Amino acid sequence: MSKPDPLLLSSLVEKALSQGASYAEARFHRVRTLQILMINGAILGAGESVSEGVALRVIVGGGLGFSATSSLRREALERAVQRAVASARSAAPYMRRPVEMGPGRVGRARYAVEPVKPFENMSLDVKVSDILEMYKGLELERNGFRVGNVTFNYIESVEEKIIVNSDGAHVESTVPRLMVFYNMAAASGERKANRWNQIGGSGGYELMEKLDIAGNMKDDVESLYINLVKAKEPPRGKIDVVLGPEVVGLAVHESAGHPSEADRILGREAAQAGMSFRTTYKDDVIGSEHVTVMDDPTIPGSYGFYLYDDEGVAAGPRVIYEKGRIVGMLHNRETAAVYGVESNAAARAKDYASEPIVRMANTYLVPGDYSFEELLEDVREGVYIKKYMEWNIDDVRWGQRYVGLEAYMIRNGELAEPVRDAALEVTTKEFYSSIDAVGKDLTFFAGTCGKGEPAQGVPVWFGGPHIRMRGVTLR
Amino acid sequence: MSHVELAEKTARLVSSLIGEYMVKVEAVNWLMVKMARGEITVVQSWRKNMIGIYAAKDGKIGVLSFEAENVEDVVKRLPQLLAKLQPSPFYAPLPEPTGKPVSFRDKAVAEAAATGEVSEKLEELGISELGDAAGKIDFVHRETVLLGSNGAELGYESTSFNGYVRVFRGERSGQWSWTSTRYEPGLARRAMSKAVELAELSAKLPREKIEPGKYRVLLSPMIVGNLVDSIADAANAGMLIFGMSFLQGRKPGDQVFSPSLTIHDKPRDTSLPGFSGFDDEGVATRDKPIVEEGVFKGFLHNSKTAKLLGGETTGNAGWIMPRAFNLEVAPGDMKPGEMLEMLDNGLYLTNNWYTRFQNYLEGLFSTVSRDAAFIVRNGEPVACVERVRIADYMPRIFSSIEAVGSERWQIEWWEVRTPTRAPHMLMKDVNISLPS
Repeated sequence: MSKPDPLLLSSLVEKALSQGASYAEARFHRVRTLQILMINGAILGAGESVSEGVALRVIVGGGLGFSATSSLRREALERAVQRAVASARSAAPYMRRPVEMGPGRVGRARYAVEPVKPFENMSLDVKVSDILEMYKGLELERNGFRVGNVTFNYIESVEEKIIVNSDGAHVESTVPRLMVFYNMAAASGERKANRWNQIGGSGGYELMEKLDIAGNMKDDVESLYINLVKAKEPPRGKIDVVLGPEVVGLAVHESAGHPSEADRILGREAAQAGMSFRTTYKDDVIGSEHVTVMDDPTIPGSYGFYLYDDEGVAAGPRVIYEKGRIVGMLHNRETAAVYGVESNAAARAKDYASEPIVRMANTYLVPGDYSFEELLEDVREGVYIKKYMEWNIDDVRWGQRYVGLEAYMIRNGELAEPVRDAALEVTTKEFYSSIDAVGKDLTFFAGTCGKGEPAQGVPVWFGGPHIRMRGVTLR
Repeated sequence: MSHVELAEKTARLVSSLIGEYMVKVEAVNWLMVKMARGEITVVQSWRKNMIGIYAAKDGKIGVLSFEAENVEDVVKRLPQLLAKLQPSPFYAPLPEPTGKPVSFRDKAVAEAAATGEVSEKLEELGISELGDAAGKIDFVHRETVLLGSNGAELGYESTSFNGYVRVFRGERSGQWSWTSTRYEPGLARRAMSKAVELAELSAKLPREKIEPGKYRVLLSPMIVGNLVDSIADAANAGMLIFGMSFLQGRKPGDQVFSPSLTIHDKPRDTSLPGFSGFDDEGVATRDKPIVEEGVFKGFLHNSKTAKLLGGETTGNAGWIMPRAFNLEVAPGDMKPGEMLEMLDNGLYLTNNWYTRFQNYLEGLFSTVSRDAAFIVRNGEPVACVERVRIADYMPRIFSSIEAVGSERWQIEWWEVRTPTRAPHMLMKDVNISLPS
């Protein structure tokens, strides 16, 4: 499929400037997907989608306007410029502080993720056959335990962008990704449970093996078996807890990454995804010295991979918490202007119809030097939570809850019997302050992070090592 | 090219390749004004054609969706896509297209969506008088055409004026929402006033801590709307098949909830923006109870889920997953002031978010309160409590309804995606959890 000439996009930027814009940005954005849906060993169907169009964003008189069109015809694009300019003009009278674009290392670059096995080189037959083989490899019934529903959704995508703006950015990119998610519903006697999981990365079809999707599914069947057949009631109250990387990754995404998004701290997302405890939190200490959290869009193979953000700013690793102290925010150029800093390239848009807003990419707790056995050995009585199902966090990212799907008692430094639905419910400060040891492992997990209005789900990784927490509350 | 011509062109292309198909084209003009800190942070507008194609051959199912100009490029891939698939357990022949178009177009909404000229309306809505507030206001005009090999030739028009505001008074806030097919400034202003009222009341009261445990809880229509969305999901036959419904094992006629709970799917209600006279298979929609006086009345089906589970389509097709159109919770007889009196001692929660299930099959979930949340003693709000969780079983809490309000609100927002008309509800023994 053809792309528009970048010169056409540049001419739209020029047109917006000629109509009074102090800043203008044009983004061609195309996302092609192939989706295959399997249920209980049968292919339910397949689908393809193409979302392509151009997004225009302009500042006029301190107001910000955005418009998007799925038409690539010059007349339609020029009308979209007019709409963006008119929209910005309607916003301008309501602005107490004009919107500005702060400094950022805008680039002129072209990059692409080169897959080992490009999706288009793999036939649909192979993809269907591989999905069915994975299903056949699952042990779905034993000793009265039965996995009754397995739904598997395979989604491959290729995202292409051309970004130009009035500050000289010209970035072209191509990023293919693979993502699967599945739900398993199991029962044993009167008890029932679900496991929902999402796995993804950037690259091509080689990720089916590299991400060990078949192995993950088998392991999840085992988790359900343990939960339903073997697990007992967990202890309640204060106890030591060891968390697995799956929970740690989610927790740093929710309570380090999100509250450090500068637009959220400023209240721009207040009515939707909420605000941040950092708006009013005066202390810079948030946890123990073992806590360092990073976000890095440039990790090769990651699900949240990019080298330039959607404002054309060059990306790099960013430190959010360092040795227990709050040190950084995630910025786009709009928030960078407010704080008087340089953008650290966190502007992302889901598709052509979405405005770029501040987002995470790949957020993780930096590993320490403990082995898993060493983390356990000092715990006389505790709980190890390996996987979760339910989680949520309040709208300032302070009170959070993670409920274990697969969890075990720890007795005298060793794993003991499994426990069911252990609910860890803590504040952000308690969470990070209670960490007294961090593992040397590092595992990432894929997610689709939601924010914005209209809601924008963007691909992210979150991850971390195993950690040990002292004296936290299980509900 | 008009959206009708685009649909006809697409149908011609598809029909030359595949015998069994549906084509749906939605032409959307949409203007969104987004606010924060009492300012307009961005005005966004979209003009787009969204094209969907359902195709079946030899029992195999393919679906295309695209927002792109070059229809030919996308459609020509269909035969190849279908050739490589296997017959689907979901397949059912397309049903007879019994639907008739029902349209509602509000001129003021359609013009705002098309032109982006909303300055006067923003003044009329009084957004500059809200003080420190965030939120969004939508003006949407949608024209839909559905053509199919089953003979469907249907089209309709709809408009939506919806939004929500979150008003801040110091660190306290109140949030409320509205939705309508008409430009009704009074409806929006009423929702904004409610948000102001909650924020101001909250700001006047001291903060208190509570212990986790069982409480009598008054839920606002914002929260009822969010939780009722989950009940409608559980009543979706697709969710049942996917193993994500706590109504698994339940049959129509089972008493699952309190007799005080009645929920209808209302596709024929043109006052709510989700209305439609036909579903995505062209079948006539009808208003129907999902739950009536606590009795589960049946799953929402398209022709495929109906065939798989044994039943008839209920006129709720999406092509793969069924869907509800508009939801309505039946009112009770308690006037707004009486609800707090009846609550007597307990919690009044006005908004929530982040509802997640630990266990879809058993309905074990939690959700977090946000904005104004009151401790009520002797029928009076006396203090505020911050961000507590309801952590309970969905069927259980809706079996514990003590009273339902007579006043209802039309809600649609980030956490209530299906337009919903909902009252306040008073429930007993709701499990409340919070960090230590």
